[in-house]
Amino acid sequence: MRLKRAKAMMISVLLLFTFFFSNDFGLIDVEKTSIVTAIAIDYENQKYLVTAQVAVPEATDTNTENQKAQLSGKGNTVGEAIKDLGDLSGWFPKLAFCNLIILGNGLKDQNVVRILDYFAKTLRLQDSALVALADKNAKEILSLSTPLDNISSFAIQKILFKASGFDNDVARTDIKTFCAGYYSPNSSGFMPIIKVISADSGSGNEGEKADNSSSSSSQKNQTSQGSNSDSNNLFDARTTALFKDGKMVGELSPDLTVAFNAINTSIAGTSLAVKNVPYNDQECNYLLTVLNDKNSIKVKATENDVEVNISLSLFCKVSDVDATDSGQSLSANLPLSKPLIEKTKTMLVNNITQLINTSVQTGCDFLKIKEKLYRFNYSKYSLYKDNFLSKLKVKIDADVRGQR
Amino acid sequence: MKQLKTRQVCFFLIAFLPITKFFSLPSIIASHANEDLWISALLCLVLDFITLIPIVIACRNANKNFFELLEDCLGRAGAKIVAVFYLIFFFVKTILPINEQKDYIEFTLYTLKPTVIYFLPLFLLAFYICFKKLRVFGRLSDIFWMVTLNGFIALIALSIPNADFSAVLPIGARGFSNVIKGSFRAFNWFNDCVFIMFFIGNFDYDKKAGLKIFLSFALGAVMVVVFMITFYAIFSSIAFRQRFALTEMSKYTTVISNLGRFDYIGIFMILFSNVFALCLPFYFSSKLLKYIFNINRLWVAPTITVLSQLFIVLFLYEFSVTFERVITNYFSFYFILLGNILPIILSIIFIRRTKYAIKKG
Repeated sequence: MRLKRAKAMMISVLLLFTFFFSNDFGLIDVEKTSIVTAIAIDYENQKYLVTAQVAVPEATDTNTENQKAQLSGKGNTVGEAIKDLGDLSGWFPKLAFCNLIILGNGLKDQNVVRILDYFAKTLRLQDSALVALADKNAKEILSLSTPLDNISSFAIQKILFKASGFDNDVARTDIKTFCAGYYSPNSSGFMPIIKVISADSGSGNEGEKADNSSSSSSQKNQTSQGSNSDSNNLFDARTTALFKDGKMVGELSPDLTVAFNAINTSIAGTSLAVKNVPYNDQECNYLLTVLNDKNSIKVKATENDVEVNISLSLFCKVSDVDATDSGQSLSANLPLSKPLIEKTKTMLVNNITQLINTSVQTGCDFLKIKEKLYRFNYSKYSLYKDNFLSKLKVKIDADVRGQR
Repeated sequence: MKQLKTRQVCFFLIAFLPITKFFSLPSIIASHANEDLWISALLCLVLDFITLIPIVIACRNANKNFFELLEDCLGRAGAKIVAVFYLIFFFVKTILPINEQKDYIEFTLYTLKPTVIYFLPLFLLAFYICFKKLRVFGRLSDIFWMVTLNGFIALIALSIPNADFSAVLPIGARGFSNVIKGSFRAFNWFNDCVFIMFFIGNFDYDKKAGLKIFLSFALGAVMVVVFMITFYAIFSSIAFRQRFALTEMSKYTTVISNLGRFDYIGIFMILFSNVFALCLPFYFSSKLLKYIFNINRLWVAPTITVLSQLFIVLFLYEFSVTFERVITNYFSFYFILLGNILPIILSIIFIRRTKYAIKKG
């Protein structure tokens, strides 16, 4: 009898807690719910314009265009605009699957944290969603058709969030990281700029085309030849916008973005283009692939200055060379020639030096030097917290190795 | 035959004591101590450990339970006065954890505002547990230490790849006063040794039981400190506003991005353990109520205890911010007094009394 009662109790408890944790068994009224995959935010007529890209389940896949829909709402705050979006459509905007937030170009001069903080604080959306700045109106970016995916935001996410081991040439960030950077001692942040490239003309941005340092990330090669011109839009996110106190203060070119990623994260799998390297009696262009890397930024404050030691060590292999008489296979991991090593080192040192100069000029501490000053040199923090950028003494140690 | 084994007391310390500190507490401490939040938590844990020492010694030779010892030392009237103080202690101690569990369930597990009915099972369970004898927590501890530990390991393992542990540096930069302020506001979630004090005379004190209990407490304390450090290592400068850190901590890992939110398995484990941890103050409130008013009917004390908390949840919910402000700012003195100072004094009195009784034969 006692055992039966205990069993009955256990079953009741389990049933009760299934009810408790059920989340309504995930049951939502599909007809009244919109699953938002991305959000574009613009600022128009003193109001925020929020455009949500919505994935609409359809019974047929014959029409590729019917799988997406866009809704827009306006409001004095982002939350109000999202509410407006729901009010106008009758759909409840479900943001749990929204992994991308695109800010319109018009927002770069105002403090973007006024917008992003909403997403960092609300539980409706995951604050691990990626954030990017559009080089034009954000709504336009979401509206574009692309041959890469039926839903443009998915195509953008593909270039922002690549699998590890693939090119790391986009300085991606998410809501939490951006907001944490804003509220940290350096009050700085960065996010990729999404540029639209027309596949028909080869590149919508010739300037970008000229300084492609890591070619494999470009999606130009992936263009389907048969697409009509309206849908031949590709996206490039290798340029980085720099923010100080929430406002955009500068940009990093694709080359500098790769250099920034090299000293900030890991760039294993990333390709580096090295131009004009002496090879026998000619000058050749090389494509190196980073197989392994190590990096560190160490900050040490002394009485006179702030010493920043940046060290970067890359283990690379040659992936391509445009020599006329190369008899060596590329499948083997061959030793790197001395001129190639020197040229690559010089390129890296120059790029890292440019990064420091950009940081000093813009005031954006994207290398988190002030944060390191605070964490590791607290006794000198008060001495340099306001003028550390003018007191920098930078030492760059770049090492490039190949098979020996 | 006593109601609990030493093993169960050890598991109790691992299963239920760290768990209540994983919800809104880290953000509350971080709002004062920032990167030193773990020091604030450590101070509270050290104070609890100091309190635990005389309690465990008092447990060693005790042949009477807490209420009997209290009556022996202070007389029946004195014992009842102490019991009234502890009744208030447990009543107040329950309010914030219940509210944070409710908010957590409603805001993080449900997209739309769910009806309050979803939260009622907790009160039904608490009501049922209040009927049982102390051995119910022994049995629950035997099961839930594993649930808590697995949930904790799963969450921390998924959080660590995205954590920057240098965020907790520099140590002590925020100043001692802020660290103390952080500790002070956290007392509602600590003072767990009081539960062990109520176990006096109710468990078989094995050989080396003291050492086992201290080690179990240390393991629970390590879990709390590791959680605080990992929490700050992930959220750094925005840690102070992460009220529902449990849901947020592990989701930035690449594996979660690729496979979906399977970290919810760990979260559910912790939530499940926490449900039983929340029943603890209900249980002791009910026993105290029964003792103070000599209530003979089994259902009266549990009903009053559960309904009083249910009333707060149902009808005073709009005052929850005021409750939090008042309890964490003003009741902390009361928590230190009843949760640390009085248990030490009472345990010392119990030890002397027991020694005297043994001497007397």
